[in-house]
Amino acid sequence: MDSKIKEIHQQLVSKQITCTALVQEKLDLLKQNTYNSVNSLLDTLALELAAKVDAKITNGETIGLLEGIPFGIKDVYMVQGTYTTASSDLLKNYKSPYTATAIQKLLDAGAIPLVKENCDSFGHGSSSENTIFGAVKNAVNPELVGGGSSGGSAVNVALDYTVFSIGGDTGGSIRQPAGYNHIYGLKPTYGRISRYGLMAYASSTDCVGPLAKSIEDIRIVLNVMSGKDPKDQTSTTSEEITEEGIAASSIKTVGYFKNFIESEAIDAQIKADFLAAIEKIKAKGIAVKELDFFKSDILVSTYYTLAMAETASNLSRLDGTNYGNRIEGDNLIDTYAVTRSENFSEETKRRIVGGNQVLSQGFSDEIYLKGLALRDQISENFSKDFEEVDVILSPVTPAAPPKIGDSLKDPLAMYLSDAYTVGFSLGQLPTLTVPQGTTTGLQITAAKNNDELVMQFANFLKDTL
Amino acid sequence: MTVDILSSIKGAQPSESVNQLFDVIKNAQASNNNSLNNVNHNCVSVSDLREDVVIESSAIEREIILENFPNKKNGFLVVAKVIEG
Repeated sequence: MDSKIKEIHQQLVSKQITCTALVQEKLDLLKQNTYNSVNSLLDTLALELAAKVDAKITNGETIGLLEGIPFGIKDVYMVQGTYTTASSDLLKNYKSPYTATAIQKLLDAGAIPLVKENCDSFGHGSSSENTIFGAVKNAVNPELVGGGSSGGSAVNVALDYTVFSIGGDTGGSIRQPAGYNHIYGLKPTYGRISRYGLMAYASSTDCVGPLAKSIEDIRIVLNVMSGKDPKDQTSTTSEEITEEGIAASSIKTVGYFKNFIESEAIDAQIKADFLAAIEKIKAKGIAVKELDFFKSDILVSTYYTLAMAETASNLSRLDGTNYGNRIEGDNLIDTYAVTRSENFSEETKRRIVGGNQVLSQGFSDEIYLKGLALRDQISENFSKDFEEVDVILSPVTPAAPPKIGDSLKDPLAMYLSDAYTVGFSLGQLPTLTVPQGTTTGLQITAAKNNDELVMQFANFLKDTL
Repeated sequence: MTVDILSSIKGAQPSESVNQLFDVIKNAQASNNNSLNNVNHNCVSVSDLREDVVIESSAIEREIILENFPNKKNGFLVVAKVIEG
């Protein structure tokens, strides 16, 4: 599918449509939608900005490529003056005092924010059911989950309610919902995009990334958001990825993890489809290599150990003191406890408690520190793999999306469903979900900072599969 | 200290599902049990620290911070009760 951004840009410039009409149409679709993808609409702001774009066009001024393009924002990003709830009771009335760097860059480029999108509370979930705004329904089959945690963002893009959306990916939260809703979703190299203004879940793997319907739109939005930011000192400088740079594929060798495909947990159809995709790639003269990797349960356990420890620390600030839905208790400590007990969801509490468990004396050595050591080994394993192959191809999930309601009943099954996404998060590697190959798509991963290679190969797969 | 106190969550108990994840780590064969943190270099160089300057909040930022404050009375921000003794 070609770039929607470029198509709309052309329509605006040639006055086929007005920006106000475009924005109003999208706002109407979002307002009437029954997929629970919306937490709040930014209608006043969006229409004001659209009128400015129309005025520029009327005056014959040149507009930038992103100017007037409507987009969505996962409800964990600060946008000054808008509600930023993290889909939680605790912050249901919280207004952002400032704007996240990644979002500010899009606003500076003229893109128009339409909506704060539903997601799992604080990013805690793989189905977008852990939310006070109702479970997000899958765009392809509304009886199934929308995926998570950036479920609302993926569904809005899939249904054309937004041209692109900005999600957050800590362990798969962009890639998995992208796969579940048959669109593209990129987790860039860790640090490529500033996280300033993104509510922290697990800081050592949190990434900002775009969801869109074409590789070209992913490229355009990624370029705008990338760059070093003094407000996020893990951010790095990166080079712009050009359209020409990803047009032809330079990939000669592709690897895949044997144990992902031989796992008992993988759905038979996803396995067969994945292997069929591998055969088509081989037929194009590309060498394919089977790689050894850590067992899925080690990956999932390492990820959740570290993510829970980090979220327990990051969320400790949410106690109703300076903001949040404070519930007064008998004394200060009681106020903290009542506020947190009443306002956090069961899943969020489960993760905070798990995190404090592994950080407490007597447990940190045998669980948390060992988890850190395992992460080092996982990363070293990736480094060796990328000496042998250019990219790694994997399914996005072991199975098709579950029915709404099923994941909440079985948290362990939900954690294990992240088996194919969390490893790449631990490695801080660029990984793109493409809507081809299996019913929940394929993931393309490259070595750190090789985001360009990932998009090159996505273009190749688009024509091959 | 128990996890309910550590987490400031009343009646919190460790979860069976989460414990199963931790058991996998306990039983994993790590070639080295100490993280050397020599793989992912995300630390900032001392020569690359951001400038230590005070940035004033804008008027709108201050206004929203005050608006977010959970409790106000007669123009004052009211904090939660302090612990006696």
